[in-house]
Amino acid sequence: MIGEKKIRNLIRGFAQSAERFAERPALVVDRERLSYGQLSCKAQSIALAILKTEEDPYPLAALLAYRSVTAYAGVLGILASGKGYVPLNPKFPIERTRTMLLLAGCSTLVVGTECLRELPALLARVDRRLLVVLPEVAEPMSLPANFPNHRFVFADEIPSANGLVYPTAVDSGAVAYLMFTSGSTGVPKGVPIYHRNVRPYVECICDRYEVTAEDRFSQQFDQTFDLSVHDMFVAWERGACLFSVPERSVMAPAKFIREQQLTMWFSVPSVIGLLSRMRLLSPNCFPSLRCSLFCGEPLLATQAQLWQQAAPHSIVENLYGPTETTIAISHYRWDADGSPRECVNGIVPIGWSFAGQSACVIGDDRQAVAAGNSGELCLAGSQVTTGYWNNPEKTCEQFVRLAGMGERLWYRTGDLVQQDERGCLHYIGRTDQQIKIRGYRAELQEIEAVLRKVCGTEEAVSVPLPSSNGSTEGVAAFVSGTAELDSDRILSSCRQLLPDYMVPWKIYSVKELPLNANGKVDRSQLAERLKGIPE
Amino acid sequence: MNALSEDRLVDLVVAWAKQNTRKGAAVGLRIDKDTDLIATGLLDSFGFVDLLVYLESEAGCRVDLIDADPSEFSVVKGLCRLALKNHRADEDGNGQLHYR
Repeated sequence: MIGEKKIRNLIRGFAQSAERFAERPALVVDRERLSYGQLSCKAQSIALAILKTEEDPYPLAALLAYRSVTAYAGVLGILASGKGYVPLNPKFPIERTRTMLLLAGCSTLVVGTECLRELPALLARVDRRLLVVLPEVAEPMSLPANFPNHRFVFADEIPSANGLVYPTAVDSGAVAYLMFTSGSTGVPKGVPIYHRNVRPYVECICDRYEVTAEDRFSQQFDQTFDLSVHDMFVAWERGACLFSVPERSVMAPAKFIREQQLTMWFSVPSVIGLLSRMRLLSPNCFPSLRCSLFCGEPLLATQAQLWQQAAPHSIVENLYGPTETTIAISHYRWDADGSPRECVNGIVPIGWSFAGQSACVIGDDRQAVAAGNSGELCLAGSQVTTGYWNNPEKTCEQFVRLAGMGERLWYRTGDLVQQDERGCLHYIGRTDQQIKIRGYRAELQEIEAVLRKVCGTEEAVSVPLPSSNGSTEGVAAFVSGTAELDSDRILSSCRQLLPDYMVPWKIYSVKELPLNANGKVDRSQLAERLKGIPE
Repeated sequence: MNALSEDRLVDLVVAWAKQNTRKGAAVGLRIDKDTDLIATGLLDSFGFVDLLVYLESEAGCRVDLIDADPSEFSVVKGLCRLALKNHRADEDGNGQLHYR
């Protein structure tokens, strides 16, 4: 549209770094080290392959890759082609991946060699004609013969990188990425994040943590988790190097942090508990770290203390933010002396919103509550998206206008918080049945929808495993109304439909589900029952 | 008192893994000394810590992972070798660890 406002592209920082620091390392992945110049070439080639061969231009392209060169060059290549990227995860069930691909509406799919095992099953399930770009696959293999409906571009057809100019400005309505979160109806919800949402975040974070080209960033998150956007684009904005944590080290990254001399760490807090249990967190074991950020689930005071001792030269910050508000929208810096007194229920505060972002705590009447009272946290500002992908009903529920707040759109987080006299926000819990499983967001209703389907009964309830900190390791299920319960078969079916972290650990058959005074399933009684069940 | 060897530890770990892997992940999968418990999806990180606790409890020894590579200790025999290697101090005169 003529005269439409242009916005800085998420890729702009990388493009500038590729010019300024062409020889400096941009990425270390799978024992391979790529300079900014090399990574830029790969990204541009992918972009050109998409632009030259796509038959039906569409503003989004999907990426099926995992901790490989293509996983990173693919993100950049899709953005360089002027599109937003939709990350898919080979660890998710094929049916879920297919749903995400179809909901996104993509007709272009970039695939890494590490996902060739999953690709045929996905292609067989997609009727729509796809352009499948395989930048690292030289041999055509049997794919074109087996899937004549789809168009394939292999490595030898990928154009050289000459001639592409990075689109450093985009239309204000352009999507940077589309991520899917657990949906209470049983279908994943798409959250589009626009360039206009994510650019303010990247710029704010780069300034806040004084990121330089000397920094060495961890990249611990799967790309289907929006916190991965922080790792990639904050690092590349300033010419720093990104270190992709190998899958095996994700479990115990202590050695990786030391060997790679990382300076910037970003993970879910669960990692601290895990390293501690494995006795991998000793005082000053991470002397290279200067900045440690945690997000995705409540950070416990005990965890913050442990990490601070392990990384004494590092600041430790608790970041908070749902996907809808772009990675993180509030921050709290841990202070070993003062912070323990500020924790509520042993949980580190989520603090204050970043400059340019706003927080409001509302009661049941949707009016702001007085300081000290708890209520639902609502968020607004440049980082907050405007709604869900092709889901106006859910958008109307979660994106609202508040009385006395003008036309501003607020995102209702569903998080129960308290705001103290200083304006500091404290996480208390949830207002609904969303839970966090090791940082992953999951709706109990989505798990239950799958259970009902595979168990053939309407009486299926999922309950978080007992936990002391608001983030659980998984769920168990209680099922009633079935004559016989074949637990192995049910769990196997669940694995076909749900990501690993959402599959119940155990299924219990009960004569009937307990009801509360209102006639609803008494979830708290089931949770209590779970505590009493021996391992 | 049963002498503890790598084979004995492998048996313990394999038996534990067969009983404790999650969600029927072990169905149709053979678990032996060469099985990578993480890469196969048999255990997630929390399950691995449970295995570690079990192994230490059964073997009566501490398993130190501080300098080990995850690709080593995620495989059954690698984990067992680590357990033996790290705890030679517990060896008796016969050069063998003892099972409690």
